[in-house]
Amino acid sequence: MGSLELTQGVVNAILLSGTLALVAIGFSIVWGILNIINIAHGAFIMLGAYVTYWLFTLFGIDPFLSIPLSMITLFIVGYVIQRYLINLVIRAPLLVTFLLTFALEIVIINLATFFWKGDLRSVTPAYSGAGFTIGAVQIPYVRLGAFAISLLLTGLLHVFLTYTKTGNAIRATGMDIDAARLQGVKIAQSYALTFALGSALAGAAGSLISISFPIDPTMGGAYTLRAFLICVLGGLGSIPGVMLGALLYAFIEVFSGIYAPGLKDAIALFVLVFVLIVRPTGIAGKAFYH
Amino acid sequence: MKRSFQILLAMLMIAAVVLAACGKSGGEKQAAGGGQQGGEKCVITFGAAVSLTGKYAKEGEYVKNGYNLYVEQINKQGGIKVGNKTCEVALKIYDDESNADRSAQLVEKLITEDHVQFLLGPYGSGNTYATTAIAEKYQVPMVEANGAATKIFKRGFKYSFAVLTPAPYYLRGIIDMALDADPNIKTVAIVAENGAFALEVAQGAKDYAEEKGLQVVYFDKYTKNTKDVSSLITAIKAKKPDILLGAGHLQDTLLIVKQAKDLNVSPKVFGFSVGPTAPEFRKALGKDADYIVGGAQWTPELKIQSDDVFGTPQKFAELYEAKYGEVPPYQAAESAAALIAYQKAIEAAGSLDKDKVRDALASLDYMSFYGRLKFNEQGMNVYKPMAVMQNYPDGKLYTVWPKEAATKPFIYPFKPWDQR
Repeated sequence: MGSLELTQGVVNAILLSGTLALVAIGFSIVWGILNIINIAHGAFIMLGAYVTYWLFTLFGIDPFLSIPLSMITLFIVGYVIQRYLINLVIRAPLLVTFLLTFALEIVIINLATFFWKGDLRSVTPAYSGAGFTIGAVQIPYVRLGAFAISLLLTGLLHVFLTYTKTGNAIRATGMDIDAARLQGVKIAQSYALTFALGSALAGAAGSLISISFPIDPTMGGAYTLRAFLICVLGGLGSIPGVMLGALLYAFIEVFSGIYAPGLKDAIALFVLVFVLIVRPTGIAGKAFYH
Repeated sequence: MKRSFQILLAMLMIAAVVLAACGKSGGEKQAAGGGQQGGEKCVITFGAAVSLTGKYAKEGEYVKNGYNLYVEQINKQGGIKVGNKTCEVALKIYDDESNADRSAQLVEKLITEDHVQFLLGPYGSGNTYATTAIAEKYQVPMVEANGAATKIFKRGFKYSFAVLTPAPYYLRGIIDMALDADPNIKTVAIVAENGAFALEVAQGAKDYAEEKGLQVVYFDKYTKNTKDVSSLITAIKAKKPDILLGAGHLQDTLLIVKQAKDLNVSPKVFGFSVGPTAPEFRKALGKDADYIVGGAQWTPELKIQSDDVFGTPQKFAELYEAKYGEVPPYQAAESAAALIAYQKAIEAAGSLDKDKVRDALASLDYMSFYGRLKFNEQGMNVYKPMAVMQNYPDGKLYTVWPKEAATKPFIYPFKPWDQR
């Protein structure tokens, strides 16, 4: 084991964990508060990536600057989908919402393939590929920027949920729906807002992903799976838990990629099974969103 | 009011699903004529499932262009001679979505529902492996041009033929060329996509490198459809290889180059099996494409004189550029060559009988604009050499190997990323 592989690997994993945390956090709040496993989460990430791609390709807008636009777009998409579609079956058993989001994913991916074709595309601003070195370790600016923005958005979400009235209402809904209603929280409003927030975060994640990796309409599935793994690893229920899960998962992915690239996915899923057997609530698991 | 809005929305969703489903299953139909028709007018219909969407969409487009260009040219001359008749040529192409199972289904449909007379290949060894099995089952000949894995031809099939040089030969030219430029080169790193074609390319390159006295310091594979190879690149960086070879397809190649730049990995020779010779490579990478070399089945600069519809590689390139606006990648040329193999076999057989055409293909030996078309007992074309092309800093692609066909000298070494 060379020391360069080790140090570069550690840096890669830390930088990757930021984006992965952002990927998982939207998925996690929707799961925690609405009790919906949103299979279409990856499709929202894909839409966010395409918003950035088109703004960059058609109007030359810098991919980092397009993040607010992709968040707003996905916020609206998420709000409408929850308010007028998912809300119709929100009281149905988990399986029904599960199926509905599964169908949504198929619809969104197929529409994207229909209109944009299945080609892989990439966003290549002038500074893509540029970076700096510390010793022998290479740090690309793009990934560092993505890491910083992920931390910023995660921090903002934490502040919003903890210190604002609306944020408290959302958390209250997740903890006890009846008590929240008695306190005057509009449940439907709270749900739609949470789902919209989750979608907006997926949009931001998609924008960041599009800067470092090539995108295509089917890209989302892999991220839904990762979001799921991270939530299970970190435990459903807290922002720090998701971040810890993302960090752990990034290390697994990067180092299995270095030492056994052909088995990358198998190793990640094996760790998941192992965690579920040893500690079913996840590493930092709690029941609700705090 | 609110309820009716919700119902409307639900209906819209359903409409979207139906639309998407139609868009998928409809595929792309491209019949120049309408399959078999009665009467005196004779039409030969060739069928193929090609990747027009998905991972191999770009390569698939080149294949389709190659097929179409041949059909257009031959129909200008009236068609293919069958005995004393001349038959027009028609093409039926479906989109296999870069999926081998889908490709096999569509080929079955081409045979049983569309009743095409002869089959052409899809893009890629995986899809070709699947579709040749269907062709064999129905005993319909398939001349394929884009499946180079030898594994396709090790099943004793009688109806499959490939016009292109097999996979293990893809990277040999680059190794020879590197050693010619600098006899002190010692180490090679090889990465491969985990697929039939790429693994054979990689193994062929590894065997050849070792035979030439080079040390293979890194040899590993990455999963198909990967979107991130930075871990692999990190591992390679630590090995500091003189030559870095990638065996895969265009999209992997783009990814490896981008991430090699991210991590500042600069070998002395940077080469790939598929990718650097495609126009898309330069379009996607811009200046970062400079100095990178790729194995080529064919280049527009080869000096060949033939009596086929194109005559010379230069004439093919000219017609292709006029129609599609870019220099033809070899995938287009080999695809057109598959139809030339059919034409010559049909002319020799003087019949459209599937078995007679098959026998004529088996004994074919013809010099086309693409190179020699001759199949060994297994159906592979092992009689045609491969070239190497390099992306020059002036933005163009030049043939740099073998020396006798080279239009420019090979620029050595690769200019490190941090010195550009």
